[in-house]
Amino acid sequence: MNNKIIYLFLILGMVLYMGASANAVEGPTAQLKPTLKALTDILSDESLKGDGHRTERRTKVMTAIKIGFDFQEMSKRILGRTWNEIGADEQKLFTELMTKLLENVYIGKLESYSGQQIEYLEERIKGDRAQVTTSVDNKGVKIPMHYILNLSGSKWMVYDINIEGVSLVRNYMEQFKTILRKEKFTGLIKVLEEKNRSFETVKKEGK
Amino acid sequence: MNTLRTRALMLFFLLLLACSSGGIRAANAIGSAQPDLLSDEVSEDEEGSDKGIADPLEPFNRVVFAFNDKLYFWVLKPVKIGYAAVVPKDIRVCLGNFVSNLATPVVLINTLLQGRWDDAGIVLSRFGVNTVLGVYGFGDPAASEFGLASRSADFGQTLGVYGAGEGLYLYWPLFGPSNIRDSIGLVADNLAQPINHLQIDSAQRLSYSGGSYLNKLSLGSDVYEEMKKYSLDPYVSAREAYHEYRNARIEGKKFNQNDNSSPVGLEILPGIEKQIFPSFEKQL
Repeated sequence: MNNKIIYLFLILGMVLYMGASANAVEGPTAQLKPTLKALTDILSDESLKGDGHRTERRTKVMTAIKIGFDFQEMSKRILGRTWNEIGADEQKLFTELMTKLLENVYIGKLESYSGQQIEYLEERIKGDRAQVTTSVDNKGVKIPMHYILNLSGSKWMVYDINIEGVSLVRNYMEQFKTILRKEKFTGLIKVLEEKNRSFETVKKEGK
Repeated sequence: MNTLRTRALMLFFLLLLACSSGGIRAANAIGSAQPDLLSDEVSEDEEGSDKGIADPLEPFNRVVFAFNDKLYFWVLKPVKIGYAAVVPKDIRVCLGNFVSNLATPVVLINTLLQGRWDDAGIVLSRFGVNTVLGVYGFGDPAASEFGLASRSADFGQTLGVYGAGEGLYLYWPLFGPSNIRDSIGLVADNLAQPINHLQIDSAQRLSYSGGSYLNKLSLGSDVYEEMKKYSLDPYVSAREAYHEYRNARIEGKKFNQNDNSSPVGLEILPGIEKQIFPSFEKQL
């Protein structure tokens, strides 16, 4: 009997607590949903399909994605300690190059999107960070995708994507570590520029 | 003859009965327990301490990486494209089903060793359903009709579940990324493959392995090419992805993912078979 009362209070407390924090800011899932919706809308827009609309489509996607994705935070985390050792100009340059690369990688991949449903499975908040688990259904094969978000002000912004345990940020971070060790920041910039150029040439060859 | 068939059928239904309850519970559990990815946050000053992957053989591994790269683009890819052009996809899928159905014992042993009772039940049910209704495992009615998606488990994972460390990172010719633990697992799983206990000569065995390898290759997405395209140092990217992917599978063995990768044996070569980056699978 006593136990029951304790449980009741516990639950009541939890509900109140959650209610209070939810009132303060909209939750990460609630904030992520419209961004992903906007993206899938653009990608399934018939008038934007095909190679001819590529630039237009990309611009739209990038505008939409920047509302919910924090590319600077991504770049910062990818660069790790080096981020603090470089100047503001270099930080800006790196963020630009990194955004371009992520555009080529992530959006390039997104472009093969063909109406798959995104399911929101779970949300987990720890302090000012959150994890939203989604699942993309691709012909019966469910691919779990976790978005990792960071609370800046009242906005939950995505800074990492994790698929089956593999983190996008960490993967690039590890790659850059070896490059930074050998060729320093200038070397890394050069490699990044080269990589971004490789997407351009592929595009041209493809046409 | 007739009695044998009735007996087999009865056995099958008994099996189904025994396993269905477990199957349903496991299916419901999907998605309920997601891995906690917030706890392994990289702290800013962690970089110096290389708690990551032990790769003292990196120079050697990189040579093998380069070799596999050439092997892929010069040999495997053309063969794969040729094969995919000649054999229709439906048939390739059936062959793939047959191969993974035959490997059921390996997965079953490992799910049991890992204490994944529900998954073991599903593996058994799948074997029963697919062998009988799926005509010796060529079809996969267990997944399409009964909603029992395939499970995978391997001995490297089992070792990891019991706390074995991964040891050195290794990059094998043809097989690609691995480590000491998973290499031992690969050998052990291979020993448990029924095909290796049949009275057939080594040439037949080799052609079975080669055939199933090629078949699997033709059905997978071009993960390796994708990874190469998107990374600045593909070697490090593959190493990191393999490490994290395997760890997630060991830690997350509790959260049942819909894992349709076929089990064991021939892990797909130079890259890992799972998506490293967001990918809507493109298939040949």
